Amino acid sequence: MDWKIAELKELEDKIWRCTACGTCKVAYDYGPPPTFGEICPAGTEFGFEGFMASKGKIAFARGILSGELPWDDELLEAIYKCTVCAGCQNQCQLDHKPYIPEIIEAMRRKAVDEGVGPMPLHKNLLQSMKNYDNPYQGPRRVRNDWTRPFKKAGKPIKDLNDEPAPVLFFVGCTGAFNTAARAVPTSTASIFQKLGIDFGILGENEICCGSTAMRVGDSEEFKRVATKNLETFKWLHDERGVKTIISSCAGCYRAIKKDYSLSSEYDKVMEGIEVLHTADYLNRLYKEGKLQFKGELPWKVTYHDPCHTGRHLNKFIIDQEGKQLWKGAYLDEDQSACLYEQPRDLLKAIPGIEFVEMKRNRANAFCCGGGGGVMTGFGEWATKNASLRIQEGEDTGAERIVSICPFCHFNLNEGAKRISSQIKVHDLTELIDQVLVGKSDD
Amino acid sequence: MSELSTLQKEQVVTAADPGNVDSVLKELRKIVGDANCTASRHIRYAYSYDMSFVKPKLPDYVVMTEKVEQIQELLRFANKEKIPVVPYTGGTNIGGLTIPERGGILLDLKKMNNIVDIDPEAHVAVIEPGVSHAKLADALYKHKLRFGWPVGPPSASVMACAVSHGIGGLNAKYGLNSQEITSMEVVLPTGELVRVGSCAIRHDAWHSCLPLPQLDGLFKGWLGSSGVVTKIGISVHPIPPLLKVFTVSCDKVEDMYSYMLNLSNYEMCDDLTAVSWWLAQVPIPYPFRPKPNDAPEWFSFATTTSWTEKEKEAREEIWEKVFEEEQKKGTSIKRTVYPEEALKGRTQLPSQVVGSTKNYCKQGGAGISWPGTFTPAKVWAPVYNKWKDILIAHNLSPSVRMSMYRGVHYGMLRAMIPFNKQSAEETENARHAIVECLKVDLDAGGIPYKPPIDFANEIIKRADPGYLELLRRMKKFLDPNDIMNPGKLGI
Repeated sequence: MDWKIAELKELEDKIWRCTACGTCKVAYDYGPPPTFGEICPAGTEFGFEGFMASKGKIAFARGILSGELPWDDELLEAIYKCTVCAGCQNQCQLDHKPYIPEIIEAMRRKAVDEGVGPMPLHKNLLQSMKNYDNPYQGPRRVRNDWTRPFKKAGKPIKDLNDEPAPVLFFVGCTGAFNTAARAVPTSTASIFQKLGIDFGILGENEICCGSTAMRVGDSEEFKRVATKNLETFKWLHDERGVKTIISSCAGCYRAIKKDYSLSSEYDKVMEGIEVLHTADYLNRLYKEGKLQFKGELPWKVTYHDPCHTGRHLNKFIIDQEGKQLWKGAYLDEDQSACLYEQPRDLLKAIPGIEFVEMKRNRANAFCCGGGGGVMTGFGEWATKNASLRIQEGEDTGAERIVSICPFCHFNLNEGAKRISSQIKVHDLTELIDQVLVGKSDD
Repeated sequence: MSELSTLQKEQVVTAADPGNVDSVLKELRKIVGDANCTASRHIRYAYSYDMSFVKPKLPDYVVMTEKVEQIQELLRFANKEKIPVVPYTGGTNIGGLTIPERGGILLDLKKMNNIVDIDPEAHVAVIEPGVSHAKLADALYKHKLRFGWPVGPPSASVMACAVSHGIGGLNAKYGLNSQEITSMEVVLPTGELVRVGSCAIRHDAWHSCLPLPQLDGLFKGWLGSSGVVTKIGISVHPIPPLLKVFTVSCDKVEDMYSYMLNLSNYEMCDDLTAVSWWLAQVPIPYPFRPKPNDAPEWFSFATTTSWTEKEKEAREEIWEKVFEEEQKKGTSIKRTVYPEEALKGRTQLPSQVVGSTKNYCKQGGAGISWPGTFTPAKVWAPVYNKWKDILIAHNLSPSVRMSMYRGVHYGMLRAMIPFNKQSAEETENARHAIVECLKVDLDAGGIPYKPPIDFANEIIKRADPGYLELLRRMKKFLDPNDIMNPGKLGI
């Protein structure tokens, strides 16, 4: 299986499309009314221009390529002090816009390839992936721990290694191994059971999607697990009748949907398989009138857009042939694949919920601070950044903050603890599970 | 190493003696703390270049201050040690104004970004250097107030634009953004904190620089070479609910000048601007591309705002009268539809379309610079015609803008010139053409604003000796050791 993952040098022409104008540095919309917000977690925390948005990262990329910035510990740390949230990308209007996160990750790949990267704590994570097929140093057996309550309740979850089902619930490592985020898979599975969906999991045979490895620049490790997963998906489709892969993890979803498409075999392997995030899947059912709610959740709730299910799924329209502007010109963006409205529609549909928006939302949402390897590499900063987002949630008067990413879920919880916030952090599935009417309730 | 990297390496120079770096850094840390200063190469590198043709140069240190007292202490130290200091906010100018000519300390003011006060009754706002156009626009709108937003990035500094005589979308009504400054707080190069304008008499009175002697002139247009401005008061204005933009086009610059002169007599526009066909394109064509024969060479947008329908109708009546008069003169002026994205980019400010340089240099590739001038309106046409010849000869688009300032028949004449910064040859070609254009304008009575050093040198060649002597004396008086952004004024 061939993979088309760009080296930094291949992106040099794109890097030189950046004018250093600094439009990327703040989230802004004309409106009216005009709206402004800080958008770059690293810029907000560290301040210097090199840390600031794509302008700063492009400066590093230019210097690395020209040889003016030889590797040293500080430079290495600086290129990893970025959540790769793409908030800066959302502001940019120039031809390198579609490639901004790729340029940042290509610097990391170069660091890894040349033996200087990633950061020490990332190395542990990557070693764990090699040893255990997950970044949490979790024994494979533990991957199934979250399913015990279902077994005890006499509602075991189907193992697709043994039985067929049309739906694969791809659990993801964070939901399975990070106990603080375990409510995500349990609520998801509970919802699926209530709805009578014929689904299954891979259990101990599920392996990491590879997102974390990709984000920290280890493309070889990413390719290893991604190739194995694609082969598994093909097998599941051919041998177990899987037609839909659903994940409640924003990182897994983005990886399978977007990063895996860098494989030469992607279209062939994934033919007949649809990849969905749980929020999207449930929203479809809701629109079809298949979700019914009982009781109410009398809460004021706000929603945090994960980067992986939001702006990371932007599609960029590029003048490939040079027919409209010139070859390679960025023309426009298509946000139709971004999951902005689906979770909001579901929240608003839950009886009793008063929904309020944070000032920075959708494409201009402020990252929780956990992405791009930052939670592993620079945990304290990740928590601090999450507390800024929690504070923004509190400023709306909301009592609960909801998201659709176990990574955000964990980090926001840590952020809330840091500032002793009373706000409660939930995954969307937790709320839906509380009020969803199951088939047995009919 | 590639040809490009060799070139860049040659371009980046540094002035620091490595032996002294540690001791200076130690002192800087005492002033601003460890997290706010650095001598790390990769951080300095990000400040070494901008959008312009000005050659990259590294600062030796980068310092971020969070309060005025830190700036005072920093300048006392720098003055004692005779270390250059370059004030920096957004770095969004296109004249290399924050590229450190002689190394030293790059003083990044972005953390001082408080909107100190907005007085919705007095229509005065007090801001710190790091306040961006986007931030102030957001805050002012809550009071239904506005400012003259420039066609710069939303992240650009309001203060840096204003103290550098930058322009904005209300120039035809209220003048330059520097004319909107009502009071200033400044740290002198020797570390003293001074105030000019009403706030010098009462600390919370920021309403006017008059009727006191206008000492604010000591800090406006000096390109950060006379002190560090730490607060300014600015006039802000109510937003009338009704917008009407009158758009015309014509084939000759002389016809456009005639129309603008006529209309400006009525002093009814917020902004009265004309742009050549090349500037009306999003993006500006690079390299030069001939205009289609059937396209007009000039477009104008006259932005007006009104409080009532009747007021709007009165403006329409005046505009119709002007338009008819111009047609009767036999000029080529006609009603037109201004290109949609370009109009949006120029009337919905701050703008990511123009501000992001999408309009300016998306096609060129990283580089944008200008001959940007204040020029008597009566010579706009002859200067433009010469600029056009020069720019086309250099294979560059004559993407020119003319804007009337407060109805006094002078205004901005400038050409936004994109170029491919990846190529040293193309960058030098642009620089050469731009300087040639500037010479033409200077000889016609224009004066450049936010000038790169190449321009400053041309100004000096032509300046009255008495003016230069006064300038030198003032500089020496304020900055005896020439530490503030040295070299930028060309004196």
